[in-house]
Formats: sequence, C-alpha cells, structure tokens
Amino acid sequence: MSWGSSRVSTIATAEWRLWMRSKSAIAALLAVVLIIAATSVLTAVRFTEERQERAHQQEVAEETFLSQPARHPHRMVHYGHYVFRTPPPLAIIDPGVDSVTGQSIFLEGHRQNTAMFADTRASANVGGFQTLSPASVYKVLIPLLLIALGHGVFVREREARTLAPLLAQGVSGVTLYAGKVLALTALSAALLTPMLIMSLIGVASGEAASVSLAVVAAYGAYLLVWSALIVLMSAALRTRGVVLGCLVFVWLSWSLITPRLAVASASAAEPSPGKLETDYQLKADLRKLGDGHNAADPAFNALKANLLAEYDVDSVEELPINFRGAVAQASEADLTEVMNEYAERRMALEIRQSHHANGFGWLSPTLAVSAASRHLAGVDLETHHRFLREAEAVRFDFVQGLNKSHVEELSYADDIHRNQSAEASRRARISPENWSVLNEFRFQPATADERFGAAKAPISMLTVWLTTLIAVGVFASRRLKP
Amino acid sequence: MTAALEAVNLTVERSKQTVLLDVSFGVAPGEVYALLGGNGAGKSTALLSFLGLLTPKSGSARVQGRSVTDDLTAARRVTAYLPEAATLYEHLSAHENLAYFLSLAKAAADRAAVDRALDRVGLQPEARDKRLGSYSKGMRQKVAIALALLRDTPILLLDEPTSGLDPVAIDEFNTLVRSLADDDRAILMVTHDVYGACQVADRIGLLRKGELVGGFERPAEGRIDTEAVHAAFAGRTVA
Repeated sequence: MSWGSSRVSTIATAEWRLWMRSKSAIAALLAVVLIIAATSVLTAVRFTEERQERAHQQEVAEETFLSQPARHPHRMVHYGHYVFRTPPPLAIIDPGVDSVTGQSIFLEGHRQNTAMFADTRASANVGGFQTLSPASVYKVLIPLLLIALGHGVFVREREARTLAPLLAQGVSGVTLYAGKVLALTALSAALLTPMLIMSLIGVASGEAASVSLAVVAAYGAYLLVWSALIVLMSAALRTRGVVLGCLVFVWLSWSLITPRLAVASASAAEPSPGKLETDYQLKADLRKLGDGHNAADPAFNALKANLLAEYDVDSVEELPINFRGAVAQASEADLTEVMNEYAERRMALEIRQSHHANGFGWLSPTLAVSAASRHLAGVDLETHHRFLREAEAVRFDFVQGLNKSHVEELSYADDIHRNQSAEASRRARISPENWSVLNEFRFQPATADERFGAAKAPISMLTVWLTTLIAVGVFASRRLKP
Repeated sequence: MTAALEAVNLTVERSKQTVLLDVSFGVAPGEVYALLGGNGAGKSTALLSFLGLLTPKSGSARVQGRSVTDDLTAARRVTAYLPEAATLYEHLSAHENLAYFLSLAKAAADRAAVDRALDRVGLQPEARDKRLGSYSKGMRQKVAIALALLRDTPILLLDEPTSGLDPVAIDEFNTLVRSLADDDRAILMVTHDVYGACQVADRIGLLRKGELVGGFERPAEGRIDTEAVHAAFAGRTVA
C-alpha cells in the first residue's frame, strides 16, 4: 500500500511543482487568495460589528421600553418594541438568508409586522466585496481556479505525449488519477485555510466546534467533488479545449443555471399568492373579528354577556375589571390566532418551496453545499422562521401583559373619561412598573444537533456526488490510454 | 532460450481498423531486434502492445513468457521504454525528470548514479540542472536514454530512437544500444531508418500495412546488408 501511496504523493507533488513554476498559475492563485482574504476580512469585520450592533440595539430597545413614563397601557401597546436577530457566529462565513430576510421587527398590538432592514449597504464603500461572502467565493470562484489549474492534469500529459512514458514506469491509471486528485485536493485544502481560521473565530465567539468544523468539511467535500470531476474529464476527454469547454459548461450549469432553475421550479410547483392579495384577505378576516378599540362593537357582545354573568352585574360600569381592557385582551387573542394562521401558512409554503429548490442539489453540488452551509451555520430559512415565531411570542406576551394591566390596573371609569381633562388623562395612566411585562429577547441559533439534523439531506447529496464521481473516475482511469 | 519479448499471432485494432495482423516474432536476451516499416506500418502499435497500452484483438504480446494482458505490472517492471521524440517534462531539469520517473518506477538511483548515466549518454554536466525547455532534441534524447539505463531493466523498447538526431549522435546512440545488448538486454527497436537498423540490429523484421512481410539476420561476420533491406523496404524485392 505504501508503494502505491508514495507514488500518489509523488504525482501530486509533481503537479504542484508545475503550478508553482507557471506564472499564469501563480497569478491566478494570488488573485483568488486576495479575493478570499478580502471577503473573509470584510465579512468577518462586518458581521462582528453587526452582532455587536444588533445586540446593543436590542438592549437599547428594551431599556427604552422599560424607561417609559406612566402612560395609558394601550399607548404602550402601540408604542411597541423592537427585536433584533443577532447573526450567529458562523455568519462571518455564510450570511445565508440574513441579507434578504431583514434583521429586526417592530412589535406592536394587533399587527404582525414583517422583518425589516435587509442589508442594503452592499457594495459601494468597498468596491463590491461586501456582496461577496466567503461562502460564495468558495462555491463559485474557487471551482473556477480549480478548473483553470486542473483541467490539463491528464490532457496536458496526453498532448505532450508524457502519458505513455508515465504508464510505462509501471504506474497504474488509478494511481495517476489518485495523484492528480490529491494535487487538486491539497490545493483546495490550502485554500480552505482562511475558512478554517474563520470557523475558529466562530468557535471563539461561542459557536460549537463540531458545526464550525462541519462547515469547513462540507466545503472541503464540495471542492473534492470538483477535483474529482476535473480530473475525470481531463482523463476521459482527448483535447484541452474540449475539457475546458465541458468544465466551464458544468460550472455554469451548477453555479448559475441550476440554482435559477430550482427557484423557478419551486415557484411553479408551490405558487405563492401575492402579498397584496394575502394582505387584503387577512384584513378582511380580521375585520370580521371586530375592532378591539371599540368596546361597543357588536363582535364583543358575547364577551360582555359572559363577563356580566360571571360577575353577576348588570352593566360594564359595575364590573370589577376594566371592560375596555378585557375587550382589548380578547380581541388581541382572536386577531393573533388568525394572523398566526396566515403566518404559519406562508412559512409552510416557503419551507415547501425551499425543500423543492434544495432537491436540485441532486443536479448541482453547488446547491447542495449551499443548503448544507446555511443549515450548519444557522442562517437558513428555518432559523429565520424561528426568529419570526419567537418575536411573535414576545409580541403577544407583552401586548397581553399590557392588556392585563389595562384590565386590572386602570378603572373603566377613568379609562372612558380619559380625554375630559388633563387630570383625567393623568388618572388614566398606569405606573411604569407595569412595563416589566416585556421579556428579554436574545435570539440564539439552534443547537448543533438540530443543525446537523437539518443538514443531513444536503450532506447526503454531497456524499453521493463525491462517491459517484470518484467511482467513475477510478473506473475510467483503469482504462486510461495515452 | 525463452524469448524475452514475443509477439504470438498478434492482431491489434485501433479505431476499428486492423493495424497489426497476425504478427509473430521474438527477441532474445542480448539481441537487438529492429521492426522496420514506413509510416502507419504498425511499428509503434507493436511496441505499445508490449507495454500493455494497447490490447490485442487476438494473439498475444508476451514478456518473459507471460502475456502482458495477464500480468501488466510484472511486464512494466522489467521493461524500459524510450518514447519517440523523448517526451519528458520541459519545466523540469534533467535531474528532476529522472528523479520523477525513477521514483514512479520505484527504481533506486542516487544522484551519483544519475550523473554516471548522464555521463554515459554524454549530457554535459552544466546542462543537467537546466530545464528541458532549453534543450535540443538530441539532449532530450540523451536524458530519455539515461532514464532507460537507470531503470536497469532486462528489456528495452525504443520508439524511433534516432529520429531527429544528428549523425554523430546517431553513431553514439547505436554504439550505446549495442553495448546494452552486450549486457544481455533484449532490445526491441522500431524505426524507419534503414541504415541505423542495419548498423545496430541482430535481426530486422519488415512491417508493411500491419503485416510482417520479411526478415533479415545479421551474418556471423559484419552487418545486415543495407542495400537488400532498402530494396525490400522500397518494395522492389523481399529477401
């Protein structure tokens, strides 16, 4: 075995020596290294700042809410609150859906606002590098470098007629194939060093070491898929132009065409209703539930009757609780149920579309590694949905907490007469101590186990790609002819 | 004596065309056998069959009595191959080329042994660490021959070895080939150089359109008659 493996490393070393003596190879390598370095540093700096900034803004938002003076409780319901999705540590490698989904939500009563502030400060200040992430460089640019350096590994030998002398030394085609793949794999491994460093920065920022290394391993497997394919094509095809043309076509297909096809197919298979249409329908459904600001709305007659019966009184003025607060509380619960129904339906649709698109990973390893990377880094759609659900839970809790204070801390009489005078208005305010109903919100990524679970399917796709290409490569190299 | 190399009714097809048809010959240790023929006669095909780089349609190419297709590894271990035009790596020096190929062949050779081989083929010491890209064809050929020497195998396969060499280099090469045969090596050389073949070969086989159409043998004294071979080669008579 050592006999064969030492030949493999000899062949790989020879390939490296050729690259190191080629000015064009060195230039291409340097250009890619510069791009990796630039995107890595810029993304790391940007997301470290983002993490700190969003964590800071979360604290500020909470302090601001809690430091509000005495107010009418329903004013606080509309004063509202912000929650921020702090990016996970591995967002410095793969920002995932962060840049398109928005990072903060304004929470208030009777509404589920959409996340806002998707990253728009994209490119101008650093020459476009901010639109590139380390993940996109490894997915799209590094394969191009591997193609540029590796497409000739066999076809060059064939053209220079060195293949026959090589085989005549007793080297098998499989050994040659392994040596050439090892050369490209070692190059990929060297190029993965910046990503490894970033994953270690992620670990230092609190990320689990297992997922951090798994992200690097996923990209390693992806680059190995490319290496195996490049060497296979170089061995199987006869001329350099044909090899290069085929590899560029595959690159276009995997990196550009299939992802767009996946999105188009997902949209066609799981069509989503337009936002205007959905919003209109939601508003119509909410309207049926009555206006929670108007205690006289007939929609709350049943509630009124129940409360009067429960407290055995004849009018809402005689109730020991604030009927307007009770209406707000009941209305909020009803509205939230309907809004959650719409939100869950929309999220389920998005997940189905996402799964449909991810299925195209069987056609493109680029899609497979993208999905694996997003799941492992905790920047996937599911994580964003969890953020929306957790934010909604915070919204519902603090709104209902304020409504509860409205019910219990403010008398109905003071409430309905609050606009009669300044003093009446003052009496309709409750103490700031009631604002402590607001729960602290610190968005956390899913556990390592959950993320590994989510990444299982795309990792399987990468494994199948890798195994198949290596098997075909070994088969083809057994029949290698000069 | 068992032939070191033997073609037994060897028939080979390339791109669905028969390029060797029912060819049989043998090369004994200590013998130089030249396969002579024009372009497309099937000379290189025969050579590549002994390296297992082409698979016979029928018949067999045998090395030390065993079919190459049955035991390719063993065949390649005892065979050194000198390709036409000395195809080596232009970005490597002579020393680096030899180190690489010898390492792949698992042939033990230190720097001193490599230099001795390069001395033997007459490559100037000052050229040995320069890249082959700056070498003349003759110099490259010398490096390739040195590789064959360093492999120290009992069988040598030479593909158009003197093609492009100047007359002095051809003479030197032929002398070297004879001395290698005298060391009991079996040498199969394919060439279209009638004069060179007659000068160095013990026997000559004449290939035409894939078929072995004639043979010549060195007399007890002297060399094979160049004129007779030339006439046969040109199709005037067959000896």
